[in-house]
Amino acid sequence: MSARVSVRTALRVLVLLLVASALLGGIGGGLTRAGVFVPHTADAEWLGRAALGHAALMMCGFLGTVIGVERAVAIRRRAALLAPLSSAAGAVCLLLGHPAWNSWLLVVAAAAFAAASLVVVRRQREAHTLLLLVAALAWGVGNLLFAAGRESGAVLPWWFAFLVVTIAAERLEMARLMHRGAATRVLMVAAVCTLLAGAALSAATPPGGGLLYGAGLILLAAWLGLFDIARRTVFAHGLSRYMALCLLGGYAWLAIAGVAWGATALGWPARDAALHALGLGFIVSMVMGHAPVILPAVTHVKLRFSGWFYVPLAALHLSLVLRLGPGAFDPPLRALGAALNAMAIALFAITVAWAARRAASAQR
Amino acid sequence: MQTHSPFPYEGPEALHPPIVAALARVVDPEVALNIVDVGLIYGVTVTDDRCRVYLTMTSAACPVTDVIIEEVWDELERVTPGLPPIEVELVWEPPWTPERMSEKARKFMGW
Repeated sequence: MSARVSVRTALRVLVLLLVASALLGGIGGGLTRAGVFVPHTADAEWLGRAALGHAALMMCGFLGTVIGVERAVAIRRRAALLAPLSSAAGAVCLLLGHPAWNSWLLVVAAAAFAAASLVVVRRQREAHTLLLLVAALAWGVGNLLFAAGRESGAVLPWWFAFLVVTIAAERLEMARLMHRGAATRVLMVAAVCTLLAGAALSAATPPGGGLLYGAGLILLAAWLGLFDIARRTVFAHGLSRYMALCLLGGYAWLAIAGVAWGATALGWPARDAALHALGLGFIVSMVMGHAPVILPAVTHVKLRFSGWFYVPLAALHLSLVLRLGPGAFDPPLRALGAALNAMAIALFAITVAWAARRAASAQR
Repeated sequence: MQTHSPFPYEGPEALHPPIVAALARVVDPEVALNIVDVGLIYGVTVTDDRCRVYLTMTSAACPVTDVIIEEVWDELERVTPGLPPIEVELVWEPPWTPERMSEKARKFMGW
């Protein structure tokens, strides 16, 4: 038994270290792109790689790995850890200067993740589990395009579709508690189809594809704003209310991202808003909301929720307003906003560590 | 006389109310409702040597299943004296439907 436990602990520590590398590399790369870091000779190489691979590190190395671990824990199969181990190892390869290894490890990760998602569908054939599988396949398409060396305009819509549809599927599942009937499911599927059509068209006809993709994001934001249980749970207390506020704030950014995505397709300079209202405003806000529940499930470390969790959440949303609002017209302000985005994530990590410490001392 | 039960229960009547109360203390923060009100408990059977809890989840992709099972365990262990060793069995049949939700839960979700 102790041997099994130590293998499990070793695996956990390994995945945690790899995830942390992907996240730190991704943030370092993002700050370099935003002009906050100017790489000097000694650190120029890895920061340069991180800057080039920022999207791959954040969306595949970090979020893809975290979602892969979640799925493996949900289906209780150790083989499913192949997905997160591959995507996390890929991120490290990228940082060490082996981008081709990263590309193919990501293809392996998406295939393993799709297999794990298929296990979920076999256990429970419902609209939301099918959407989880669709999201996994979207990741696969994005990773294949990335491995084939396609430009970010073709790859990013698929990577974002993977994350957005995964979240949408989980919210659709929760919405069953509100008993809204089949029409809501049809509307969700229509929104997801619009998004995927936009992603598919983005590679061939960027303006049309981008407009459709933006419309898909706006439709999803409208669906979530109208039918998500956060509308009810925001009236609860404690952790439930905090989670609801993370979600509702995220939905507002999702709508903004949709508008900015469409505007970018029409030639407006709104690319930073399209990518980061979505990546930070919607997705990272979602991560901040769910971490107090998911982290204990995957790491077996208990957390004690407190009002302090609102501090990094507020910092994230306010710094994003600075970056995408006034920062859109003033590069130094945009860089300051990006630096504060990173600080909000660091502050969140500190809050989580502190919550774990409080939970541990309460148990003693 | 039988206590009104939100789920099928077999076992000593004296243990019934504290078991219902213990399970109602397990809350899923995502939905801000306890697992009894959501209708996740399919039944509890207490015999001389076992206390078996039949539990379902709303989604097969739910990664917090083990956390909820652990909490069920912790809360039931507080039901003393005299609860035999606890077993929590995860069941998927019949699948959970919203109709399993309690009146209180339906009202909270705005039915």
